[in-house]
Amino acid sequence: MKTSALQRDPYNVIITGVGGQGNVMASRILGSMLVSKGYFVTIGETFGPSQRGGSVMSHLRISGESSWSPQIPAHRADLIASLEPAEAVRVMAQYGNPDVHILCNTRPIYPVPVIRGEEEYPSVEDIKISLKSLASHTFFIDATEEAQKLGNTIFANIILLGAIYGTHLLPLEREDFVEAISQRFRQDQIEINLTAFDRGCELLAR
Amino acid sequence: MNIYGSRELCSDVIGKQLCIGCGACIDLCPYFRSYKGKTAMLFPCSLEQGRCFAYCPKIEVNLDELSQQLFGHPYDGHPLGEHISIGMSRAGEKAGTGSYQAGGTVSALMQYALLRGHCDAAVVTDREGLLPVPRFVTKPDEVLACASSKYTAAPTLSALHDAMKKGYSRIGMVGTPCQVLATAQLRSNPMKDEAFHDPTGLVVGLFCTWALDYRAFESFISARVDRNSIEKIDIPPPPSEIMEVFMTGGDKIEFPLNEIRKLVPESCSYCIDMTSEFSDISVGVMEGRPEMNSLIVRTERGRRIVEEAQREGYLILSDMPRENLEHLVWAAGNKKKRALLKATEEGIVNTAGEDRRSYLRINGGTLKKCIA
Amino acid sequence: MSYLNDNQEGSVHLLMGNEAIVRGALEAGMRVAAGYPGTPSSEIIEAFSKVARERNIYAEWSTNEKVALEVSAAASFAGLRTMCVMKQNGVNVASDFLLHLASSGTRGGMVLVACDDPGALSSVNEGESRIFARLVEVPLLEPGDLQEAKDITKWAFELSEELRNLVMVRSVTRMSHASGNVTYGKLPNTEALADFKCDGPMFDPDRGPMISMIVGAADLQHGPQQEKIRKAARLFEECPFNTYRGPEKPELLIITSSACNLYSREAVRLLGAEDRVGILKLATTWPLPPKLIMKNLARTDKVLIVEEVLPVLEEQVKILAAEMAAEIGPTRFFGKNAGNIPSVGELNPDIVIEALSSILDIPYTNVSDSFDDAARELARKAAPNRGLTFCPGCPHRASLWSIHNALELDGRKGFVCGDIGCYVFGTLPSGFSTVKTLHSMGSGTGIASGFAKLGQFGMDQPVISLCGDSTFFHAAMPALANAVHQKSPLTMVILDNNGTAMTGFQPHPGSPNNVLGEEMPAVDIEAICRAMGALVEIQDPFDIEETQEAFHRLIEHDEGAKVLILRQACALSPERRHTKNFEVEIDEEICLGENCGCNRLCTRIFGCPGIVWDKEKGVSRIDELICVGCGVCADICPAGAIKKKEVA
Repeated sequence: MKTSALQRDPYNVIITGVGGQGNVMASRILGSMLVSKGYFVTIGETFGPSQRGGSVMSHLRISGESSWSPQIPAHRADLIASLEPAEAVRVMAQYGNPDVHILCNTRPIYPVPVIRGEEEYPSVEDIKISLKSLASHTFFIDATEEAQKLGNTIFANIILLGAIYGTHLLPLEREDFVEAISQRFRQDQIEINLTAFDRGCELLAR
Repeated sequence: MNIYGSRELCSDVIGKQLCIGCGACIDLCPYFRSYKGKTAMLFPCSLEQGRCFAYCPKIEVNLDELSQQLFGHPYDGHPLGEHISIGMSRAGEKAGTGSYQAGGTVSALMQYALLRGHCDAAVVTDREGLLPVPRFVTKPDEVLACASSKYTAAPTLSALHDAMKKGYSRIGMVGTPCQVLATAQLRSNPMKDEAFHDPTGLVVGLFCTWALDYRAFESFISARVDRNSIEKIDIPPPPSEIMEVFMTGGDKIEFPLNEIRKLVPESCSYCIDMTSEFSDISVGVMEGRPEMNSLIVRTERGRRIVEEAQREGYLILSDMPRENLEHLVWAAGNKKKRALLKATEEGIVNTAGEDRRSYLRINGGTLKKCIA
Repeated sequence: MSYLNDNQEGSVHLLMGNEAIVRGALEAGMRVAAGYPGTPSSEIIEAFSKVARERNIYAEWSTNEKVALEVSAAASFAGLRTMCVMKQNGVNVASDFLLHLASSGTRGGMVLVACDDPGALSSVNEGESRIFARLVEVPLLEPGDLQEAKDITKWAFELSEELRNLVMVRSVTRMSHASGNVTYGKLPNTEALADFKCDGPMFDPDRGPMISMIVGAADLQHGPQQEKIRKAARLFEECPFNTYRGPEKPELLIITSSACNLYSREAVRLLGAEDRVGILKLATTWPLPPKLIMKNLARTDKVLIVEEVLPVLEEQVKILAAEMAAEIGPTRFFGKNAGNIPSVGELNPDIVIEALSSILDIPYTNVSDSFDDAARELARKAAPNRGLTFCPGCPHRASLWSIHNALELDGRKGFVCGDIGCYVFGTLPSGFSTVKTLHSMGSGTGIASGFAKLGQFGMDQPVISLCGDSTFFHAAMPALANAVHQKSPLTMVILDNNGTAMTGFQPHPGSPNNVLGEEMPAVDIEAICRAMGALVEIQDPFDIEETQEAFHRLIEHDEGAKVLILRQACALSPERRHTKNFEVEIDEEICLGENCGCNRLCTRIFGCPGIVWDKEKGVSRIDELICVGCGVCADICPAGAIKKKEVA
């Protein structure tokens, strides 16, 4: 049992995005990083049709005491980390509160009704302004652009993890990430993922 | 002209069994298609106004507007429509021999028009087995290949749209009265498109008292003969009351017309036009004279082409005997009167009020005259 | 997946509920696992297949859940420990055999894992599998957290052997797909010997034949079966997985199980009601241990029962309370019947908070109204719905396009009876609203077989049924045999994308390989249909012209059952993923956008996510990141603006 260095117990993190962005992988890696440090982690996820381009959310409960409900109670998120701007807004409405921290990738993924010309997608600038007015702290990064520089947009989820680490809201060290991916990825994939992680952390330092 | 969209076309025409499958709405867009003679809308289109509605000969047809545009005066209700001359004709020596019907006038006219450049393409109705297939041709001898009469309704205007899309600008049309009416609506540029110009070079209309629903006819014939061995189908002119089906191998099978008439779609009973009144030239059978055609010339360009065709040996013209003319006038007038009475009774002529759509609009005086 | 194989006793891992179940089975020395794919259960068999070689395990995706249960039963009869896995609907499918198996009993420990889907997050119905335990009379266990998912599963095998009957372990989405800390136990050695002893006398549990029942001898078999249940109830009195937390004499007792245990704990803590509320978490939810129940009911006269989906536990507890009322006094019950807990949908902490808040009169706010309003308003404007649609390049979109259009052109008001798979979207605009009935696996063809015989009563519409390749083997074959034999002139369309796609592309009897990756004989769908006597045609759905013509041909063919196999790989399948047949692009000069008169057919109707409506330029364009290059859109654009070029 770990003596808690958490800001709150349980500390509630939501990682959100669109199906196919690697949301689940990010939450598992983050979860196992914290388990290896002795915390209780409970992750709740929705699979199924979400995979076909729908909204996905992973709820992470981090606690020094015990496991908790895989669904975070309404308006009890402490950190919302989003791979997509509209999803950050969606999650805010159900789980946000004035004390929440938001970390958000600024690259939109247009929903099917929008690409069919039936609905409007808001401007990312407007989303940023609105989120800033509601949350206690906001961090915006273009994780997709950085991922493209690394050769594949799928790295955005690892960059987001690096950024989460960079907020220093969670009791994590870089070594925890190294350990976690060494169990998950092939040897030849380790380096690029480390680069992505570090990049994410750098983006927060700005 | 009051123009609406596909929704109204569906509710007012297709939904009310008024659709004759003329093809005016087919292939203008991806939504209306024809299959085995029946018109279907594949998906709902959200546009408020469309050419589909505007061209349809079974809804919001304003006879006075059309007549004004084509002939320079409102619709006067003459049983045979606007005409410069009425006579008889048949194909001349120069017109190729083929399996054409009756006097062969239509094939001869179209061949000639293509040959002399009056038309750069001609819309004709070909056949695949029993199914009529509209197409356009560009060479005179291709006209002969499609020369036999088809008695079932066909979406002929879809081939006109096709030819227009492919850039032809003096297209010849051969059609039944409803198809010719739709063509006239198209030519009137109802959508007020600034870049529009009349794509037709010559419109030849056919005489028609009724057509047959393709699916009903196919079902009827297939149950009685081997449809794959049918050479030709003919309905000889009155007083004959039969349909003749010629089989490969020489057999001829006859069906009484009163059985065939049961296969006529409801829509035909509303049709006021026996002689394709909005054509340049109309051609029909001659009662009692199976080797001749009736010929009505209506416009200047029609007259010019007939004259030249005759001079060059493609057509042989003669006068129509008085009794035949009288009978033609009577028959055409009768069809007009019956249809107008029926449509008026059902309240679909000159329907008034906001958003009330009418089958026909015709000035009151002419209407009274026609149904007297 | 090697972490499932980790032999370090006491090590802590972050495991998904399904993985914890697998680990529990491995620690129990399970040898054979069978199942049929179904969310949220599918990861279990997949995980077994990944450690199959090292752990000496045989894992199989069976044709359907009934067969899977039979396969698993065989292993048990041969003395091996075995697990059968399915989603809740699968229990319905397997139920007839389940009933008989519960009667014959088992030998090697056998665990049936049923994963329910409260809220129907990935199902077309909201069912309940727990009642089957009571119906067929086998014990039911429900893990209350991730650690228990492992520990209870392991114990279930021991319990099964002690009782000589299978044990049902019930999970839910929020358990199976949640992840949490799991401390590992020891892994046993992997030797095992299968031996079906059946030469002993009838009714000998160790050596006799395994027979459900001798006709007319209910008391000879059913009696002992019920005795097993009574024994289970006695064992459950001391079960360490039934726990009580809270004051000796709370004001309110919560009785709960499964994931609802976690919601209840959370709710009590958030309301600060730990000194007023006690939680009895039951892992053994059928049969209920009466003494344990009585001891806890005696703590207070107010009881709230928190469970999903049907009030199974609630009704059982109320029966016991009625029987014990003379001793412990009357109890006031709160729960689904009283309306404190909703009868429909999955639960969450907030639902329990609301119930407690009202029963105990404790006010609770999570955020101010002004924040709530502002956040909702923002979401209304800035979080557009993500519609459900087929993936880019999905062959079903092309198939349904052809079927829909052909039916409109045919004009006889033909309709489609649908089935279970990704093509359930055929009921929605993304599938052109073509599918008009939707029920269970294989039901589309059965219903169609019925519809197509109603010509006698004046019904002359063409009748079409739709099913996938996996569904064909699972349940549709008997319906097709019926249609052929009864001369029911339906047209069955089999969407063959060579895999069980919706649940993650598992193999089925028509696949050339099994879950272990070995090459296997592929059962030939076309040959089966022909052998049955149906008229069969095969087309590539990406060729919409040929497909439509074939469809017209078949639905105009008046007699007998017809089958149209539309064969094309799923866009997410291993063979298609990351490969493009065509490079597709839209010529901006030719696309006239809103001025075309096509009313944006590609984006408004066809709706492939790879085609984007560019509002600024007023034309459609292809998003190369999303487009998978199937080329179908190039054939539907009336202006010919979409161009496809074959990729070398």
